[in-house]
Amino acid sequence: MTRLRAPVMEYGRVFRYVLLLPAVLWVVGFTFFPLFAVLRYSFASYVLGRGITGFVGFDNYVDVLGSARFWHSVMVTAIYVVVSVPVEVVLGFLAAWLVHLGPPGARGFRTIIGAPLFTLEVAIGYLGVTMFSSQGGVVAVLLAKIGIDVPWLSSVWGGIAAAIVLDVWRWTCFIFLIVLAGLAGIASDLYDAALLDARNHWQVMWRLAIPLAWPVTSIAILLRTVECLKVFAIPYALTTGGPGTSTEVVSATVYLVTIQFFDFGKGSAMGIVFLVIVSAILAVFFQQMRKRLA
Amino acid sequence: MSQDDKAEQFARLASRFLRGRIDRRDFMRTGLQLGLSATVLARLARSARAAMLASAPEAPYESGVTSARAAFLRDKPYKGTTINVMVLKATVGDGLKYHVPHWESETGGRVNVAEVPIETLHTQIFSDLSSGLGRYDAYMTGCWYYGDFFVPKTPYIAELSKFLADPKHPYWEPDQWLPSMRKLYTWNGKLYGVLFDGDAQALYFRRDAFDNKEAQAKFKAKYGYALPNPPKLMKEMHDLADFFTGWDWNGDGQKDWGISLHAKVNEQGFFHFLTLAAPYVISPDNRYFFFNPNDMKPLINSEGHLRALVDYVKFLGNGPREQISWTLGQGWDLFLAGHAAMEPTWGDLPTLGQDPKVSKVKGKIGACPIPGTTEAFNPITGQWKKYDFNQVGNTNGGTWHCVISQHSKKQEATYDFLAFMANRKNAFFNASHGWTGVQPGMRYEFLPPVGSSSVAEWQEQGWNGDDVVQYLKAYYDTLSATVQEEYLRIPGTAEYWHELDVNVSAVLGGQMQPKQALDATAAAWEKITDRYGRAEQKALYQASFA
Repeated sequence: MTRLRAPVMEYGRVFRYVLLLPAVLWVVGFTFFPLFAVLRYSFASYVLGRGITGFVGFDNYVDVLGSARFWHSVMVTAIYVVVSVPVEVVLGFLAAWLVHLGPPGARGFRTIIGAPLFTLEVAIGYLGVTMFSSQGGVVAVLLAKIGIDVPWLSSVWGGIAAAIVLDVWRWTCFIFLIVLAGLAGIASDLYDAALLDARNHWQVMWRLAIPLAWPVTSIAILLRTVECLKVFAIPYALTTGGPGTSTEVVSATVYLVTIQFFDFGKGSAMGIVFLVIVSAILAVFFQQMRKRLA
Repeated sequence: MSQDDKAEQFARLASRFLRGRIDRRDFMRTGLQLGLSATVLARLARSARAAMLASAPEAPYESGVTSARAAFLRDKPYKGTTINVMVLKATVGDGLKYHVPHWESETGGRVNVAEVPIETLHTQIFSDLSSGLGRYDAYMTGCWYYGDFFVPKTPYIAELSKFLADPKHPYWEPDQWLPSMRKLYTWNGKLYGVLFDGDAQALYFRRDAFDNKEAQAKFKAKYGYALPNPPKLMKEMHDLADFFTGWDWNGDGQKDWGISLHAKVNEQGFFHFLTLAAPYVISPDNRYFFFNPNDMKPLINSEGHLRALVDYVKFLGNGPREQISWTLGQGWDLFLAGHAAMEPTWGDLPTLGQDPKVSKVKGKIGACPIPGTTEAFNPITGQWKKYDFNQVGNTNGGTWHCVISQHSKKQEATYDFLAFMANRKNAFFNASHGWTGVQPGMRYEFLPPVGSSSVAEWQEQGWNGDDVVQYLKAYYDTLSATVQEEYLRIPGTAEYWHELDVNVSAVLGGQMQPKQALDATAAAWEKITDRYGRAEQKALYQASFA
């Protein structure tokens, strides 16, 4: 028996590794290799047409850490995330709750609210140029009529505000769809019981729906935060980072340095520094999430 | 010298003579130096001239056709050949596309055109070249990318003299270029670009508004001197911009503006600053605007540049605030719609102004070179100096044209297509039609006594006679001014200018103070220079003034 089983075991072990191989190749090829290449570049001086002209130690990192433009873009990105993600979560949750209550037309609303999710971000950015133009742009004109006369695309705060408005429009439905699924997963008898005790739907939402849908919502927040930290297309298509660098997010700065001007050394160092910052934020987020779930 | 060398030299000589670059006397003299007899040369000269045709049935889209060209086209020489060209997604790209079917019908070849927006054009060109992919045979380049083509030991782009010497290709006339324009198509004296565009910035204004007696009286009452028509000094331009802002001077019931600018970051708005700042720094005593040629230290944060930037910001109040986020076309639209009194820009504006579909200002467009100053700062000596009148010409802009990839395996066919567009008939068509985005740079496009064109020739293309006379004079004066702002073409120019663009935009948006912005620009330029190599950059920068 022993002699018969051994080959089966061997075969099984090999087969397991064969099955793992595609995933391993994928991770090595598309995660480790680029990461190590970026790390290597970050210690090098790179010039278009000459390639790597030498290794410069930590000079690129010193340059990045002392770069006012880089830290400004980190700040712009932080403002972008801190404003847009909470607004999207609140609006998305409220919309999901309202649809979950099943008012007339809820099904149609669910379809309509999902539409922006299927629109290209760069198209939304370019659309924003016409919508926020103070010379006849729909949004700018309507807001001006109710007293909100903002030089949207030609002022430091107007540009970032316009980009956030477009981002909220684009991504609220993402939160909505995930939360809606989360709410649907809560057993209906819990709602029935809660409605007997509660004075209104608001209390049911606050006391029952939010806590029970929190695990799903927190995943939506996590995904949205990660995406938002990488934001590029909407603000760049809308303002190309301007006026000045007022709407230049980190992705745009890295893009300009690395892709536009081929300074792969400095651009790679920027990428690594930002990776560290984002990893730290996500670590804190996961820690908090684990605490809440525990 | 081998017999082959002599034959090649003679072929080049004959080509130069054929193309009118040297006269008969030079042809004979140089031919004799090569050892050919006078009788043979005289016969060759006659036959060469006779070989030029005004037109040929094989080349219906060319005028000025060599007999070799006509013979070459009989067999549809590029049948089965497809070339790929990357162009700027803008009017100049449209201009190139217009000629594609014509060239295809003459030669049997095919042209694939890929349009790329300006914010990614540099990336796309140099990604293709540096990766060695060579997906494109030619690229439409702005002249400020030129230095980057010459960073590798073997330049990324092909030199053109061997094609130019071959009479089977379309005939065009490099000897007709104004020197300031020819310089932008060459590198170290060798030709790399084929004629397409010729950019310079001049001041365009509403002639009718400036000529208006009532407006002239109002202006004199307000500023104490006669309305300057056209403005010669920056101060006059500022007063005019201020004067024409905020009231309905064109009688359409809406308030109008003194000036129109486009200043969106990462576009071409920074050229406004380069142009308007020039007379504050460039003078008969100083040619250096960007760097000190002795050590490549940036000059951009000098007192002259600072005063220029402070004055530049003042113009913003004389146009819609939205200008800060306007692209080039949006800036032109305000002028073409009749709501701006002035615009310092490229020749596209008066050219587009002739098209009644987009313009309300045909027959009302005045033009003059960019106004000058009476005082300029010399950043090398650190001194201001007074002048009676310091006016500075420029070639600011893209001067968009195509260059041929060194990786291309179809260089000959590619050159043929580019030379086709440079043939006089097509070049004149381009320069006289606004939607092509092309401006003049050849003598035959200007009016006598400096050129050989005529008002009637331009009127045939739909121009108003008065508009074209002012436009061509202003353009020629700008391109051929004795004091010129030298164009920056060293490696990394796109990056240097990007830093300037971002910081000037930050001033316009209220994000930075002018001094802070120029100091930040200078600091960024230092790092770029160090990365590319200070010694190499210095040598190239000095060479650009040779």
